[in-house]
Amino acid sequence: MTFFIKSIQSMSKFCGVLAALLVSAAILVDCQMVVMRYFLNMSTVWQTEFVTYSIVAATFLGSPYVLLIKGHVNVDLLPHYLSALPKKILAIFASLLALVFCFVLAWQSYNFFYEALEGGWLTDTIWELPLWIPYLPMFVGTALLCLQYVADILCIAFNFEYLSILAAPQQEGE
Amino acid sequence: MEPLSIGILAAILVIILLGTGMPVAFGLGLVSIVFLVLFEGVDSLSVVADTFFAGIAEFSLVSIPMFIVMGAAVASSPAGKDLFEALDRWLTRVPGGLIISNIGACSVFAALSGSSPATCAAIGKMGIPEMQKRGYPDSLATGSIAAGGTLGILIPPSVTMIVYGISTETSIGRLFLAGVFPGLMLTALFMAWAIYYAWRNGFDFRAKIGAFTWKQKFEILPRVLPFLTIIVGILFVLYGGVATPSEAAGVGALFCLILVAVIYKIVHPKKIWAIMSDSTRESVMILMIIGSSALFAYTLSSLFVTQSIAEYIAGLEVNRWALMAMINLFLLVAGFFLPPVAVIVMTAPILLPIILNAGFDPYWFAVILTINMEIGLITPPVGLNLYVINGIAPEISLPTILKGALPFMLCMVVGIVILCVFPEIATWLPTQVMGQEQ
Repeated sequence: MTFFIKSIQSMSKFCGVLAALLVSAAILVDCQMVVMRYFLNMSTVWQTEFVTYSIVAATFLGSPYVLLIKGHVNVDLLPHYLSALPKKILAIFASLLALVFCFVLAWQSYNFFYEALEGGWLTDTIWELPLWIPYLPMFVGTALLCLQYVADILCIAFNFEYLSILAAPQQEGE
Repeated sequence: MEPLSIGILAAILVIILLGTGMPVAFGLGLVSIVFLVLFEGVDSLSVVADTFFAGIAEFSLVSIPMFIVMGAAVASSPAGKDLFEALDRWLTRVPGGLIISNIGACSVFAALSGSSPATCAAIGKMGIPEMQKRGYPDSLATGSIAAGGTLGILIPPSVTMIVYGISTETSIGRLFLAGVFPGLMLTALFMAWAIYYAWRNGFDFRAKIGAFTWKQKFEILPRVLPFLTIIVGILFVLYGGVATPSEAAGVGALFCLILVAVIYKIVHPKKIWAIMSDSTRESVMILMIIGSSALFAYTLSSLFVTQSIAEYIAGLEVNRWALMAMINLFLLVAGFFLPPVAVIVMTAPILLPIILNAGFDPYWFAVILTINMEIGLITPPVGLNLYVINGIAPEISLPTILKGALPFMLCMVVGIVILCVFPEIATWLPTQVMGQEQ
């Protein structure tokens, strides 16, 4: 089981790196677009869509990583006042509920992706990007999000918390 | 079931689910799918992926990660310390100059970073020890930084304003402008209170003033002015109609990365990576909430909840100011528990029709809403800024920080009242620069 948890965590971290690279790429393309449009007075074709979909892809791919490092904001008022056992049960319960939503999202994302691929959907711009390309990261990201939740639940249930603590990045200077 | 009862049920379910401690993004999503399945059948789930995707795939939202990168770059550098020092050196002869420097540095840094916790940490690390050293009370030292930090979400460029603009389909450029004077007004109110408090407690402003030479005053400017130029540049580009917020944000982010590399020698791949991964984490968190709230808003509106609430409130025929007071109270309570972005995406689409119906200006309301969120940042239980300050000044107890922050909260309430009496403080600048809205 440790192996399963660790592999999921590595995949989440890998996707986190991808997400940060996508954000960096979006910034560079955004600047390139500004130069083209306002300094060279040229029209731009693909940049707006590229930037938008990069950020969308970064959001979905980054989501499992953000879950791993407990970065999805929540209200932890009630858990804060509970003692160890009820806190653990509540955490498992909350994670299971979240998993239900993530599962539905992943399942629907797959359908959405599959339809776009089968139907040969294109974006309605001059670039005519096949729509399955931006939909794919949504499916991959949300599917991994489900797996990361399963790993998290296992961690809490079988007291493997040290694994998630190891996975969290070291905060500098705090 | 009546749409209104569905609405109440949805609100209760949201409170229960978020109470379990599950992430806000997934809690909102779960409520949406539960209601879709209950009232429209399992087939209606086919809208889930589409709505979530469309909620994020918006070019104007691109400005959020870009502004966050810009802020993270500045926050990773000692720019906050330099900003504080520059103001301190120039204002040293003004009575209460140190407090003015602190709050002033907070408001400028807040504009740059757009993040309240980052502002508190950056200015507080330097400002709190300095204020203690010069004999200001602990409560004032920490309270003024906690409050000063909240200005980040009001003074442009502000991520919360972008989120409001997108969820209510209002102009982000106008929203930014609407925040300028209220932001300056709050800054002035904070300064006035801090000076009054220190004076009333018999604080001798002339004591322990460090004298600075002109050389010291000027040598710090080259490290501070480039960042100020970026803010002015971004605002100029936006209002000159030269570029959209997303374009300006991208250029701002790249410039800030270059500036911290040139001025503070932040070039090590590890440090750049820290900036990028930190900002990715924050923008993923925000954008996931935006995506699921798009689903939430879709669900409520397809079940006619949004429309019924607006109709119901319009039918009540209460006095519009009584209505505004109720809305403020509601926002204030929501802000105690939830982060600003979550409150805005959840409530703005529902509140906006009510506000417009009652004859209020949507840009003015954005400012009121934001100030309410600022108050939430310095009140328990969630008050993020309080914990940040507690982290950088662990020797000062949380109750002391809270005691120091309380008067500043009242300043914000006074600010809201002033804005209600003189709405022009928010609406004048956007109208002057961008004309009447069509």
